[in-house]
Amino acid sequence: MSGAIGAMRADAAKLLSEGAVKLVLGYCVRGNERYPCFISEAAQAEALDFDQSCRQNLAAYLRKPEVRGRAPLAVVSSPAVCRSLLVLSSESQIRENEVRALAIGPKGYGGILGLGALGAWLKADYPDLVPEQALLDRVAELSAKTAQERAKFWMKEFEKCTRCYACRAACPGCYCERCIVEKNMPQWISSAAAGHGNYAWEVIRAFHQAGRCTGCGACEAACPQGLPLMLLNARLSQDAFEEFGSRPGYELEAKPLIGSWSAEDDGSFIR
Amino acid sequence: MTDNLYQPTTLRIADSRDEAPDVRTFRLEFTDSGYRSEFFRRYRVGMFGLYGLPGAGESVFCVASPPTRTDHIECTFRKAGRVTSALQDREIGQTISFRGPYGNSFPVDSWKGRDLLFIAGGIALPPLRSVIWNILDRRADFGKVAIVYGARTVADLVYKQELAEWGGRIPTAYGGGTSSGYPSVGRLPTANGGGTSSGYPSVGRKDVDLTLTVDPGGETPDWKGKIAFVPTALKESAPSSENCTAVVCGPPIMIKLTMPVLRGLGFEPKDIYTTLENRMKCGVGKCGRCNAGGVYVCKDGPVFTLEQFQSLPQGDL
Amino acid sequence: MKLLDRSKSTDFAAALAAAGYRVAAPVSDGGLVRIKEWAPGAEIAASEMPLNSMKDFLFPRTEVIGRWTLEGDGFASQDVRPDAPKTAVLFAKPCDAAALAVLDAVFNWDCKDCFYNAKRDAAAVAVLACGSADEHCFCTSVGGSPGEAHGADLLFRPADGGLRMIVEPLTAKGKALADAAGSALSEGQAQADPIARPAERFDPGKASAWLASNFESPLWKELSLPCLGCGACAYACPACHCFDIQDEGSRSESVRCRNWDSCGFGLFTLHAGGHNPRADQSARWRQRMMHKFSYFPQRFGRLACTGCGRCARLCQAGMDIARACARISPRENA
Repeated sequence: MSGAIGAMRADAAKLLSEGAVKLVLGYCVRGNERYPCFISEAAQAEALDFDQSCRQNLAAYLRKPEVRGRAPLAVVSSPAVCRSLLVLSSESQIRENEVRALAIGPKGYGGILGLGALGAWLKADYPDLVPEQALLDRVAELSAKTAQERAKFWMKEFEKCTRCYACRAACPGCYCERCIVEKNMPQWISSAAAGHGNYAWEVIRAFHQAGRCTGCGACEAACPQGLPLMLLNARLSQDAFEEFGSRPGYELEAKPLIGSWSAEDDGSFIR
Repeated sequence: MTDNLYQPTTLRIADSRDEAPDVRTFRLEFTDSGYRSEFFRRYRVGMFGLYGLPGAGESVFCVASPPTRTDHIECTFRKAGRVTSALQDREIGQTISFRGPYGNSFPVDSWKGRDLLFIAGGIALPPLRSVIWNILDRRADFGKVAIVYGARTVADLVYKQELAEWGGRIPTAYGGGTSSGYPSVGRLPTANGGGTSSGYPSVGRKDVDLTLTVDPGGETPDWKGKIAFVPTALKESAPSSENCTAVVCGPPIMIKLTMPVLRGLGFEPKDIYTTLENRMKCGVGKCGRCNAGGVYVCKDGPVFTLEQFQSLPQGDL
Repeated sequence: MKLLDRSKSTDFAAALAAAGYRVAAPVSDGGLVRIKEWAPGAEIAASEMPLNSMKDFLFPRTEVIGRWTLEGDGFASQDVRPDAPKTAVLFAKPCDAAALAVLDAVFNWDCKDCFYNAKRDAAAVAVLACGSADEHCFCTSVGGSPGEAHGADLLFRPADGGLRMIVEPLTAKGKALADAAGSALSEGQAQADPIARPAERFDPGKASAWLASNFESPLWKELSLPCLGCGACAYACPACHCFDIQDEGSRSESVRCRNWDSCGFGLFTLHAGGHNPRADQSARWRQRMMHKFSYFPQRFGRLACTGCGRCARLCQAGMDIARACARISPRENA
């Protein structure tokens, strides 16, 4: 990994010194933690670091005008972040010339990749990114329960939600200028941090990610209340794959699952 | 009597008048005489209230009628969101909720003997209307009264009937309409306790100098007012700053562009007043939303002199 | 002296519950510690820094402040009383108790907020002095101390290597707590443990002075770049008190709620007409710093930060208000 990090730092420094990018989004060590950092000078590239604890999805910063305004950008990108970049591209949120990935993952450093090259890197090294087995086991365990038991489980979890929206802020896919939870004509979701409003918020947030979630886990890592959000996301990703063959973030111009329709789609639920 | 700060009273819509597209004036009567007495004990021009409808919420507007009329209050507001839409769905005879009066006020008494210049843009005439009627109700206390009022288009000018009364010379300026096209319900009746005996002439009083303007492109073929942005119209009319107090209300950009013009005309920052429209929720200095610099606009404002205004962080206004 | 064996913490809670108190205490909940309503069987984690602060019990995240039923053309107002049961907050942090002065100030200046005050009056606060601190604690930088109990009714001092606590009632409410504890407390002698001493990281006076003249500093853009604009910091903060008012309801009945809100959200200052004075995150984060360290002190004579460090501890982006303060007001010998 140290070789990979060295190569990633060197590329970041090169892009900055050549003026090919104005800002590099990466991770730096502070204390015992790794945090997002923003580097605009080649000399600072030595501070960049990466390991599996880097769970913030840096693609979320592409929504911030202060960051986006400094394009072209390079983003230190785990495989999940690479997928998020492709999802954003397929949803017309970013353009090829704005962003480059410094692709890095458990199998090493993938180099400076434009959006068009990400799919090939992912397919070669990470062809079927699926959630960790431990998470899948928990999903299976929960899925085996009755609907009432599941509802009880989730009500207890959702009761903890304070509506700080850290999950939404962490997610690159949550880029709506006005989130549905803030719409009030009509008000779809109660804004009080309690009961059914929390239930509605959490479920709708998860559903809006169905077929778009890249499994990065940033939302769950960001949740100050420790809600097991990935249980929901992973189950929806499973359904999206099994029912529709959707695996978001592998193609540059894939059609979003919820934004497309095929004659082969299962229509048996329509009665 | 409740000690719940957030508990509103109930007002009945006695009358309503459409002023401009999506802009409506309500005349409102208190259903609780105790609240009414307390309201008028405290109300001074410039103060605001929280008007609302249970189930939709509350919205901040100024009180657009003067304290010299104590049988009702009026408010004028544009339909812009959930609360204002719900309010505009209410009809004459129905009720709405109200809390207030809140905030500080214009120091009208300290203006005695001075000339007064009122400058307003668009939907920001209502806060000045209460001052203007208050001044006209005690007309002899003040020197010359001039008003410069502009809107994006002719249709967006509010209080057209009153403008006709104040200005007199522009009765057919509103896209061919006449003042009789506006229901008379919004017309303020003869003062009951005010200072004047003259009442309100239906056409053209001589003791007000009104300049109307619309933004370029907002004029109609028969428009007889100016065609210019408010700061430009003000510059062209070049009022004297001597012994004169200026009061400016409008969107943030208009205020920012008008201030240099007034300074150029020789007005001192202490003689220029404006109101801030920071977002508010509680109205009573708790919720934190209207905080800018060291002030809570809901308590320390909404009325500020330019001197005070300049001491606030401009980036938060 | 009055002593509480640490092993009898739950007995203390049970005695108070039996005496009619709603008991709030740091409770282990699936590996995380929250200050929440204690129920028999819940394990009390007295020394842990809970995720949330005790403000939840005085200024809850959502609270009904109005209720109406629709009647014909109008609506009938129902009388809404504060929901303020007699409450004992056990093992609160000194920094959380210190924040009560901030909440007291804002909810009582000019006019009084009955919802806060009813809960405040009904709450007895028992603070446990801190025997340890982590790298995010900075109470000593903002005039606080891990051994103080400003704002509290009773102080527990850790003693005998953490086995016991020395119980010091400070007010009549605190004495009532001790009296209600019955056999959970004992008389005896114990040796007080040393109190934690988090490093002083900045000089708050210098921070306030810098802020008063640096609204336009380019540093705001740099410092705020990682901030993603969620409300996690504000909601975890014991001193943050901004709220929103929202109506919820059906055709026949509606309630008006006040919900926590945060100056970090983009919609916080958005006018109905579309103008947003704080148009980007740097303006919003500046407001957070300014309000805590400049505006609030100007108006109320105290900082609106008590150094609990929760905001930095839980921020996904690594935003750290103490670090920012240190940046603008380094200590002479730091």
